[in-house]
Amino acid sequence: MAADFTKLKVTKTVDRKDILFGLARVPKSSRVFVGSSDFKLYDVDFAEEKPELKAIGEHQSYITGVALIGDDVVVTGGYDCQLTWWNVESKKSLRSITAHEKRIRQVVASPDGKLIATTADDMLVKLWDAKTGKAVREFKGHEPFTPHHFANTLCAVTFSPDGKQIAAGDKSGKVVVWNAADGKELGTLDASGVYTWDPVARRHSIGGIRSLAFSPDGKTVAVGGVGKIGNIDHLDAPGRLEVFDWQTGKQTFVLQTDGKLKGLIERLIFSPDGEWLVGSGGGTAGFIAFYDVKGGKILFQDSAPMHVHGLALNEAGDKLFASGHNKLVEWSIKG
Amino acid sequence: MQNYDIGRRSFLGTAAAAGGIAAADMTFLNHLRGAERSAELKKNDKRVILLWLAGGASQMETWDPKPGHENGGPYRAIPTAVPGVHISELMPKMAARMKHTAIIRSVNSKIADHGGGAKLMQLGRRDEPSVRYPDLGAVVARELGRTESKVPDYVSFYSMTEGQGTGPGTSGFLGSRYQAMYLSKKSAPDNLDRLETISDVDHKERADLRDLLSKRFAQGRETSAVGSHNQAYARVRGLMASEELFDVEKESAKMRDRYGRTQFGEQVLIARRLVEAGVPFVKVGRGWWDSHGENFETHLELVTELDHVMSTLIDDLSERGLLDNTMIVTLSEFGRTPRINQSLGRDHFASAWSVSLTGCGIKGGACYGKSSPDGNTVADGEISAPALFATIYQALGIDITKDYHVGPRPIPIVDNYAGPVTEVLA
Repeated sequence: MAADFTKLKVTKTVDRKDILFGLARVPKSSRVFVGSSDFKLYDVDFAEEKPELKAIGEHQSYITGVALIGDDVVVTGGYDCQLTWWNVESKKSLRSITAHEKRIRQVVASPDGKLIATTADDMLVKLWDAKTGKAVREFKGHEPFTPHHFANTLCAVTFSPDGKQIAAGDKSGKVVVWNAADGKELGTLDASGVYTWDPVARRHSIGGIRSLAFSPDGKTVAVGGVGKIGNIDHLDAPGRLEVFDWQTGKQTFVLQTDGKLKGLIERLIFSPDGEWLVGSGGGTAGFIAFYDVKGGKILFQDSAPMHVHGLALNEAGDKLFASGHNKLVEWSIKG
Repeated sequence: MQNYDIGRRSFLGTAAAAGGIAAADMTFLNHLRGAERSAELKKNDKRVILLWLAGGASQMETWDPKPGHENGGPYRAIPTAVPGVHISELMPKMAARMKHTAIIRSVNSKIADHGGGAKLMQLGRRDEPSVRYPDLGAVVARELGRTESKVPDYVSFYSMTEGQGTGPGTSGFLGSRYQAMYLSKKSAPDNLDRLETISDVDHKERADLRDLLSKRFAQGRETSAVGSHNQAYARVRGLMASEELFDVEKESAKMRDRYGRTQFGEQVLIARRLVEAGVPFVKVGRGWWDSHGENFETHLELVTELDHVMSTLIDDLSERGLLDNTMIVTLSEFGRTPRINQSLGRDHFASAWSVSLTGCGIKGGACYGKSSPDGNTVADGEISAPALFATIYQALGIDITKDYHVGPRPIPIVDNYAGPVTEVLA
């Protein structure tokens, strides 16, 4: 039985001057690590009455991806192409490598914590040994250019719950699913509904895949972005969710947020039981939406306090932690 | 000692053009002043290619990065071939060619709406209802174009539907002689083909007959209008002959690949063909940079393309020995706000933004002016639109102290006689 999402409320807010991106939560806690536009990695515990951000270390550009390894190691990736391992207790950098030739967009840990996957604008997904930092494998399958001759970008990567598959999604709306063990391509999905090319009025593109998630049973892949935009000066279209049976490549349903809730779905997370899915993001303002996975409908949608870039759900499925534009927030789903 | 001799042919040509303009536009241009200098200037074959970045390109993601500041965005600054000058990492090819290019980082144009900003930055002065001012292209065409030229003086490409209001350009009181050949739908003009029912020989013979009749008609009469009439027909034949200048297929596949098979790349390649053939001013509009949302993604696309196409153009002009006589200008209606909005966008901003000047008359590698650390204001060397225009004219050798006359009213070629930024002049 799905939760009563109408009771969703913000329970804590931290105001900031910077923009907060990738976020990783320490299991069974309210402690998160978050990457910032001020190039720093921060540690913040929402269990504190007035949560404060404590800096751990610094990159040379925006930190876009944050992944937690075990209890005390965080791996960060950023626009400076660096992948850095941090001991969060000593606040020391353990290792830093130039992981990609172009900007790193996302960093995720495998479910067993043994691997790190990164994705970047060099259109590669790379697997790294989480402990040693050694490169394990590269995954290719995304074109370097969009269909309209501009550089493609690769913003989203995720593991299946059993860690056997990896999926990544690019700007043109293409998802590739690989076998994590040997790099064999298992299938592709067409989610080009999230990509807008304007050939007449403005002659450039906007949108693309920003979020991906496997369902807990590993059969479904959810893709997040923004719907087709008329005036691409703005993120002026509803958040768009496309859901696929990835093994057949069949699109099972598409949902768009209410017309007032515009922008990109930046993060997607399935509930622990797989019955619902939460997506959050934004444009000039933020939004959050809960989706009925089986029924293919929106259960609840609302504005968010900010354009959300990072999101984590607790084990009970009743608390959300979000990073975004000038804010960090904690939501309670149970009211 | 200055030579005040005026060549008869030059004088007659100029006078005939003036008469034609007067007849067409009911204005009188006092352009005989300095005619000897003008004639000399026109022999120098100086040219301009304006890369008009319509919608407003971000100075932060191009010529004036602010890495590390909260307004700076994610892209890093990279060193260039000129020690101490850094530009956005999105422009690695231009960074390697910085010795050809001067940057001005201190434009305060004050108008931050598209229409008003575009008029200001194309006219070099605020528009006013009582006078129809010519834009940069028309003035350069007027000053550098040859009367006897058979190619257009001013060609303007603008293919986006957004921003088309200011796309065509305007010759204002200089008259239709200097109005841009405006290409909005295709990269080649329509209707240049000779009618199939008229052979080329017929067409030429008709022109000869028209000329003969005109000469008889002109005997004992004022000749300016007739001269203009004949010139107009001569230019039609010239334009028909120039059709292949617009045909990008005439270039090798290798050259087309160098510029890139994008519309912008092809139009800039055609611009090079045109200036090589003697067209004094070509504007290539590239839009639409108005990145209120997703500024960094939009600039990743558009700056990467600009970097590639502009650096290719510099190389190509240089290899052909044309760079010393051809100026490349990057210009927008304004820049973009330093502050990053919720959509990771930047909004309209006219208080402290950047332009670049490359090639003819420019001190490559110069970097003039400074914006504040947060990018919100000009910290040093503030310049206005008229000063920028004075700089461009001066670099081209155009007399920036001259006046046009509309009726009895003198109109300075540079608004308020603003001075140039001498620091970027060669």
